Amino acid sequence: MHLDPFELHRPESVDETLELARRYAGSFDYLAGGTDLLPNYKMHLNLRPHLIALEDVGELRGHSLDRIGAMTRLADLERDPEFLRSYPAIAEAVREVATPLVRASGTLGGNLFLETRCFFFNQSYFWRQSLGFCMKADGDQCHVVPQKEKCYATFSGDLAPALMVLDAEAEIRGPGGARRVPIGELYDGAGDGIRRTRLAPGELLVAVHLPASARRRRSTYRKLRVRPSFDFPELGVAAAGRWEGDRLEELSLAAGGLETYPRRFDALTSPLLGAPLTDTKIEEVASKLRGLVRPVHNTFLAPDYRKKMAGVFTRRALAGIRPGATA
Amino acid sequence: MSDPTRLRLTLNGHPLDVVCPPERILLDLLREDLNLTGTKRGCDLGTCGCCTVLVDRRPVLSCLTLALLAGGREVTTIEGVTPASGLSPLQKAFVDLGATQCGFCTPGFIMTAGALLRENPHPSRGEIASAVAGNLCRCTGYSKILDAIEAASRVA
Amino acid sequence: MDAASPDQKFRLLGGRIPYVEGPLKVSGRAEYTDDIKRSGMLVGRLLRSPHAHARIRSVDVEAARRLPGVFAVLTGEKYPTQFGVLPITHDETAIAVDRVRYIGDIVAAVAARDELTAERALAAIRIEYEVLPEYNDPRMGVQKVEFPIHSRGLNGTNIQKEVVQHFGDVDAALGTASHFVRVRGRFSGVTHAFTEPLVTIAESTPDGRLTVWSATQVPHYLHRSLSEVLGLPMHRIRVIKPEVGGGFGGKSDPLPHEIACAALALETGRPVKMLFDREDVFLTNHGRHPTENDVRIATDAEGRILAYDIEALIDGGAWSSFGTVTTYYNGVLSMGPYRVPNFRYRGRRVYTNKPPSGAMRAHGGTNIRYSVETALDELSEQLNVDPFALRELNALPPNSTTINQFRITSTSFVKCLHAARQRSGWDAKHRKLPYGHGIGLGCSFYISGSNSPIHFTPKMPQCTVHLKVDMDGGIAVHCMQADIGQGSNTLMAAIVAEVLGVDLERMHVVRVDSDISPIDLGSYSSRVTFMMGNATRKAAESLRDQLVHAAALLTGYPPERLEVGHERISVRHRPDVGVSYLEALHKAMERSGALLATGSYTSPPMGGEFKGARAGTAPAYSFGAYVAEVIVDVETGEYRVPKVWAAFDCGRALNRLAVEGQIEGSIHMGLGQVMGESMNYRGSRLLNPSLLEYKIPMPQQMPEVECLLVGDPDPEGPFGAKEAGEGPLIAILPAVGNALYDAIGVRFTELPITPDRVVRGMEQRAAAGRTWKGA
Ligand SMILES: Cc1cc2nc3c(=O)[nH]c(=O)nc-3n(C[C@H](O)[C@H](O)[C@H](O)COP(=O)(O)OP(=O)(O)OC[C@H]3O[C@@H](n4cnc5c(N)ncnc54)[C@H](O)[C@@H]3O)c2cc1C
Ligand code: SF4
Ligand code: FES
Ligand code: FES
Repeated sequence: MHLDPFELHRPESVDETLELARRYAGSFDYLAGGTDLLPNYKMHLNLRPHLIALEDVGELRGHSLDRIGAMTRLADLERDPEFLRSYPAIAEAVREVATPLVRASGTLGGNLFLETRCFFFNQSYFWRQSLGFCMKADGDQCHVVPQKEKCYATFSGDLAPALMVLDAEAEIRGPGGARRVPIGELYDGAGDGIRRTRLAPGELLVAVHLPASARRRRSTYRKLRVRPSFDFPELGVAAAGRWEGDRLEELSLAAGGLETYPRRFDALTSPLLGAPLTDTKIEEVASKLRGLVRPVHNTFLAPDYRKKMAGVFTRRALAGIRPGATA
Repeated sequence: MSDPTRLRLTLNGHPLDVVCPPERILLDLLREDLNLTGTKRGCDLGTCGCCTVLVDRRPVLSCLTLALLAGGREVTTIEGVTPASGLSPLQKAFVDLGATQCGFCTPGFIMTAGALLRENPHPSRGEIASAVAGNLCRCTGYSKILDAIEAASRVA
Repeated sequence: MDAASPDQKFRLLGGRIPYVEGPLKVSGRAEYTDDIKRSGMLVGRLLRSPHAHARIRSVDVEAARRLPGVFAVLTGEKYPTQFGVLPITHDETAIAVDRVRYIGDIVAAVAARDELTAERALAAIRIEYEVLPEYNDPRMGVQKVEFPIHSRGLNGTNIQKEVVQHFGDVDAALGTASHFVRVRGRFSGVTHAFTEPLVTIAESTPDGRLTVWSATQVPHYLHRSLSEVLGLPMHRIRVIKPEVGGGFGGKSDPLPHEIACAALALETGRPVKMLFDREDVFLTNHGRHPTENDVRIATDAEGRILAYDIEALIDGGAWSSFGTVTTYYNGVLSMGPYRVPNFRYRGRRVYTNKPPSGAMRAHGGTNIRYSVETALDELSEQLNVDPFALRELNALPPNSTTINQFRITSTSFVKCLHAARQRSGWDAKHRKLPYGHGIGLGCSFYISGSNSPIHFTPKMPQCTVHLKVDMDGGIAVHCMQADIGQGSNTLMAAIVAEVLGVDLERMHVVRVDSDISPIDLGSYSSRVTFMMGNATRKAAESLRDQLVHAAALLTGYPPERLEVGHERISVRHRPDVGVSYLEALHKAMERSGALLATGSYTSPPMGGEFKGARAGTAPAYSFGAYVAEVIVDVETGEYRVPKVWAAFDCGRALNRLAVEGQIEGSIHMGLGQVMGESMNYRGSRLLNPSLLEYKIPMPQQMPEVECLLVGDPDPEGPFGAKEAGEGPLIAILPAVGNALYDAIGVRFTELPITPDRVVRGMEQRAAAGRTWKGA
């Protein structure tokens, strides 16, 4: 399988990157580790004539406990024991992304801006053509929910939910300047599998910042996948909380792999603050979350099962971060 | 910057200086242009691990790497880890313990396992299994591959 | 042939013999087809049908032909001759003629200077289709249909093959039965998913010859099909099998792209390489058939089997492939390892507009076995007898004949049962482990080499081996048997070395090349060890006789008094009196130079007189009894299989390393079919043609496997050996299914058993008010 020709740009600074982004507005993709983009390009999915490689942009590299550069390889996080200890949810999420070989190249930025996935999208040109294409690439229909004018492709990144429950923030630079937003706000809940992020054209993720409070939280990420390696999440639930004695001071919960964007469930968790997190309350939250999520049939496992499991995984995640819980 | 399609890197310890179009994938450069056919093409999409090579001593998927982005780095293929005569202890363990059947996955496993042992000379069986979980083998059921890596870790 | 005695002593055989090509494989130096480059080589590409079923109204290739860099564009009418692996069911063409039958059917082939040009050429081909109704479910094709997929379907239906067999009197037996179970199994299609994609290179040269390198496990059948379709005599075609990266049956049909590639080579006069993408490989398929079966088993009050009454509906996909055999096997391979006095079977294989199914490891013996072993597990519960005891009660004895006249010579099935029961600690575990934790038994029976060569009339040997030794003392071994990773080259070398007493490193197993390799039919039906092994042994013995004769001249002792030692021939009981291997060789060469020896194998006549009697006959059969343990997460339905005890009767294990490798690899593949592998279709469209969405198990999912090789030597197998390549896959499926029953009290009759099905099963059990182990 080959790639169609494109022009490759290799800026060495964020400014240079944004300048290129402006020049090729609408006709480029950023290339980080390439582990998501290149398979899609090989399948002729939404090709652009220009690729701006972020490889040489120094400002995007490196990580510390409170800042992860966008170009940080997932494998670099995996090799940092202190980092992993500080953020169990990130540790668990990172280790479950794809395979060790993908993680060697795959970056944080790429993981957060992963293309959404669907059985009718992640296919060769021939395959998609034989079906008449779909809205997300080259076509105008949807094969999953045909009656709707919307794309239901699934957001399948593992790191986003983990970062969201830790109140991480994205540092973004773009033609309109720099801004910092909570990770959850990178994704467009009102959009769909096509218009999946809230990045303005040309905007670039520079780094993710973790607040000091994140290190005080107990956190976890639970992923459902068919096999212990390779497979994208059929769902992923992250939870983080802080206790004062047995009183819950902070709690956040997020899920990915179920819909077109990862989401946080603050409305479910905020009523729980100030009291112990009992089994009954956990059960209640789990069943509410289960009622809220709307998976569709475009991944391997059936949507009703994934919905059911969203409840189970939520319960396990919440139980798993209670003080004294094992694993 | 000079010619953007000029690719210079160290390949198996020797300098390489070639002209390479941006869309050239590292796997194709190795197999098609340089005739280093030890690196295998099993899927071209990151889903099998047969194409594993080392870039700066880390195993990566050459089928998902743009050749130009390996510029300035040290690329090592199966040809580069095989001694001029005989085999490395890891390779020998694969032979002796029957860890290679059809052999198509084997170079990829050797690259991944070699990198693992360099970083973690005495991995547990669980660590070995996780480390090679990006390399598919359809013949062996993995048991003898894990055995061989374990055995090699005892030799080293 | 010598009866193989259990205490026969060997220097190499019976030990752990590392694969002879291992050093080349671990260093990346083994040469696979895609590693070969020929000068001036073109890129071959295929255009595939976007429709599941359609008539081709018109094809316009002019624009494609005119593109610079395009050397040839071929469509179906140039080589319309039908072919297929079985001579009785030729229904494939290299490139579709008039009609396309599945999404992915080949409609045109191009050869161009590079990939991009080839793809441009494909895009420039204009085809007008008239879309026909698609038949994606075999049930749609059992009656008369408007547009039969093939004209050779039975009476205007899409039934490709119907087998009806009745031995004994099933209805009478059912009348007297005291126990009865019925299992209706449903099985998704699964596919081989070998790591090396399909690939072929073809080159025609001005001397009028065509050379084809291909990733094939049946070079001989490929050779024949090339000749038939291209109209070239076989002697002008040369087929070479480089190293092959796995096959498992997926490279055991002559495949259309191999012929199309050769046709492009003829058309262009240039070498052409056709390398498949993963998606092409999935579309080519020929994997295990999606199947529904209905198994009824009746027993007497003690659990003695009185009758089997079986139906199978088999989804064939677009072509026949091995389908006629599949249809028989789903019936006849359901009986052994048990004695079944009355047997009725109706099997139908139906064409559908899906990628063709064909032969996959343990072909025809896997899905039906799952249902049978599930039924037996259910019966033992009904009867309240232990599953082991039930099976032992029904075991076929050695040297017996089945109701359909299979000749059973050796069987160590009962030994397998004993070993598995004892080693697994069964008695302390079965029904005694806590809820969610279970143990199960599954058994197997498989042919050790199909007795009927697919193609030969008049009868010729199924395998011939040639040996050649020149003064250097190296021994060249020639045979068309296809090593695809199973270790048959190693076995062939080891047998020669064993018989001649020489070092293994003297052997040069020469790459399969139809110009020099005598015919062997290929790697399918688990025939290679048995047939090639016997042929090799004969060839080696004939060479040994020549050497011993020469040694007799040198030592002055008669040949009867000489024996072969390590690299030496000496007088029996007087090891000091003798000559070295090389001395004997050089003496022997004085007469006529390099020595040649040949050996061959022809299986003995066997089988009954009725229609289809030969299907499933084999010179020997393998047997197995596996115990698997499972641990279920009773909330999520996820489960793992921590341990498997695999007791297997392959006769004498000649290379324990290889036999274990086959068992472990088989368990991996069988577990895949249980746990998640599935060709998922929406209508006739394959949804998951990728190694990401086709769920091959990972290392972390593999159980610890304890291989228990308890077989007694087979009287006719080479040194007592039988097959170990396919049979070892079968038992793991029901072992896990039955273990899941023991764990959670749910019978799974649909594969794969994905976590969602496990959860649904537990919910249904609970809804029915059935408790299990207190839960
Ligand atoms: C076999 C396989 C299995 C996989 N399984 C998983 C899995 O289980 N879980 C999972 O989460 N992922 C999985 N992935 C997807 C992917 O490999 C990872 O998510 C990886 O982290 C992506 O990072 P990358 O740098 O390679 O992204 P790239 O492919 O380089 O980029 C992905 C997208 O992000 C954009 N992008 C990258 N960086 C930035 C930036 N700084 N600013 C703005 N946009 C940016 C790119 O333009 C592109 O659109 C899998 C991939 C493969 C091939
Ligand atoms: S959800 Fe519909 S529109 Fe979106 S990728 Fe899938 S088929 Fe296309
Ligand atoms: S060829 Fe690169 S992962 Fe399969
Ligand atoms: S040895 Fe064949 S795929 Fe691993």
